[in-house]
Amino acid sequence: MIKGYAGRILTVNLDTQEHHFEPLDEELARLYIGGKGYGVRLLYDLTEPGIDPLSPENPLIFATGPLNGSVAPQSNRFAVVCKSPLTGGIGNATCGGSFAYALKRAGIDVLIIRGAASAPYRLEIENDEVRLLPADDLWGEGTYATQKKLGKKFKHAVIGPAGENKVLYAGIVSDERIAGRTGVGAVMGSKNLKAVSVTGNHKLEMDDPEAFKAYTKTVRKLFKEHPVLGESMKRFGTGAIVNTTNGRNILPTRNFKYGHFDEAMSISGEHLEEHELVGVKSSCMHCPVTCGRDVEVEGVGRVKGPEYETLALLGSNLEISDLKHINEWNYLADDLGMDTISLGGTISFAMELQEKGAFDVGVKFGDPTGLSELIRNIGHRQGVGDDLADGSRRMSERFGGMEFAMHVKGLELSAYDPRGSYAQGVEYATTNRGGCHVQGASMYLESIGPLTINPRNLKLKADIPIVQQNLGCAINSMVLCIFSTYGMFPAAIHNMSPNSFTHRLLSRLMENMGPLFRGFMGIKGKPMLWWEKWLTHITGQKMSGGHLQEIGARIFNLERIYNLREGLTQEQDTLPSRILNEPIFSDTTTGHPLDQLLPRYYKLRGWDKNGVPTAKTLKGLQIRT
Amino acid sequence: MSITVQLTYDMAREVGSPTIQVSGAETVNDVLRLTRQRFSQDEESYANLTRVAALAVNGVLISYRRGKKTKVQDGDRVSFVKAAAGG
Ligand code: SF4
Repeated sequence: MIKGYAGRILTVNLDTQEHHFEPLDEELARLYIGGKGYGVRLLYDLTEPGIDPLSPENPLIFATGPLNGSVAPQSNRFAVVCKSPLTGGIGNATCGGSFAYALKRAGIDVLIIRGAASAPYRLEIENDEVRLLPADDLWGEGTYATQKKLGKKFKHAVIGPAGENKVLYAGIVSDERIAGRTGVGAVMGSKNLKAVSVTGNHKLEMDDPEAFKAYTKTVRKLFKEHPVLGESMKRFGTGAIVNTTNGRNILPTRNFKYGHFDEAMSISGEHLEEHELVGVKSSCMHCPVTCGRDVEVEGVGRVKGPEYETLALLGSNLEISDLKHINEWNYLADDLGMDTISLGGTISFAMELQEKGAFDVGVKFGDPTGLSELIRNIGHRQGVGDDLADGSRRMSERFGGMEFAMHVKGLELSAYDPRGSYAQGVEYATTNRGGCHVQGASMYLESIGPLTINPRNLKLKADIPIVQQNLGCAINSMVLCIFSTYGMFPAAIHNMSPNSFTHRLLSRLMENMGPLFRGFMGIKGKPMLWWEKWLTHITGQKMSGGHLQEIGARIFNLERIYNLREGLTQEQDTLPSRILNEPIFSDTTTGHPLDQLLPRYYKLRGWDKNGVPTAKTLKGLQIRT
Repeated sequence: MSITVQLTYDMAREVGSPTIQVSGAETVNDVLRLTRQRFSQDEESYANLTRVAALAVNGVLISYRRGKKTKVQDGDRVSFVKAAAGG
């Protein structure tokens, strides 16, 4: 077995209550790394086309990668893969905390849950021992209470009431982190599986442990001194983005009607740090960045605070400026086990629907009254919460308002308005799981990072998402935190004045690099960046940026053909009508120019005009269909 | 003619407000000069406060327009924007 892998897949069948171990396929590990990549390959191979995502036929796959189980910073993440009940296409999400470390130490690379139990169960894994235990006493409990009851000996991945009630954007929670997107928690709920608890003491082998150790020390130092990883994110968490997106007019406000919120500063990471922060305990294991923020919620105590996406989608997007409310709703969503991005996007949609007289949700923009109750009702599918639990796409099909339902492929948009970030718009439109930012994070290169590219210059806008999506696929397969990529720009660039000549020159050069950009990123040379070096030291296989671009493209295209197999078409490679047609900047009269960018994107991907990967593309990437 | 200047968090702490209003400005340069007058710091401290902030008019960075010569109009919003990361 290649070093860095435990070498085993565990399959648990909830129908028969049986389990078995089998060896990890080395060839697939080489082609797909692990994590999301390996999971997508398994999902494709294990399922018949057209299965109901909430049926026992949909496997729930927990997958780790070669970095997991090590002490590499930001490497305690696992991927969950299944068919998404929210989009009908590929479902996947990653989660931090400490579960990935424990799963790997139990000697398991991949855990596949098949079938469905007839009553609530939980799964306990201790090295080679696998136990299915009744979980009636836990059913109905929130994710906090569930993990507390399960105790500290094991690390847990659990669902809350939202997963049990199959809220279509329910997530799987581990520690205070969540695999939030695409409804993976609803799939776990459909299996009557409340929790997976794991511990173990398998030793993991590395190809060159000394080199790994020495280099990890160097990276820790680099992180410590880095203006983003060691300073901004460490001090303010992800919430520091609020003031940036607000200044760039891309902070979702009032269901994406505007990109600027006058009261943004009071929901920013800086404000949170000054007025609400009580610690950083909720950060992921072994991560020196510690971007988690702990806050006090009245009547609850110290809990993990909101991330940027939550601050925006339950804050500015609802026109709420009181952090205390957002802290509470964030806690409720975490405890119920729900994705706050889809939650916020669905609530803002329902609010606008109500303004049009098409639906009575009982809450309104700018007013916190009734929102806590609504969130609880969504998690329990009670009253109008039952409709909101299905997400904005299904609601718009039922009640109208498709033009302002802010989703792609059924997945609600993250908190970067693509009208001021064109590459991010192309990424949203084409990302296989739908309107999400952490599959590529083009907005970092384009709009919020230290070097920015003119949003109106279309030159690189189809190229950036391809490079970023490929990299994102690789990162989510190692499995590493995508925030690691924010360390790519050296401190010198961060510390440069954006108004200086050198800075402007570098930004211009970047925006006019064209094909050079992709060419450069595709070079199979020496491992340069820390994840490339870690992979090389751990697995013994040379892993440069170019290798990862190729593997990422393979994973991305496999997801694409999975989606096509499940009935998605190029018509879903689009953006909400509001984004395409309503201007958000005072000096423009149109929205996002997706129609001008998509043909080039397809061409560069090696897809035909219908967005289908050609036989040549699939062969070149060694994708078996 | 009134322009809203959106400050960074650190700047806002100095003046006690997330925004200030300036009037009589025709270009971003004028806005910068008028904004400077609201801060009591010496040149070095003020430069440190603003150095890594880019400037945007109604959300569009001035580096994509005419730099500090970019014209401003009544009702415009000029923002000091710092780079950030997360998600
Ligand atoms: S940067 Fe934040 S989310 Fe990423 S691993 Fe570290 S603590 Fe977790």
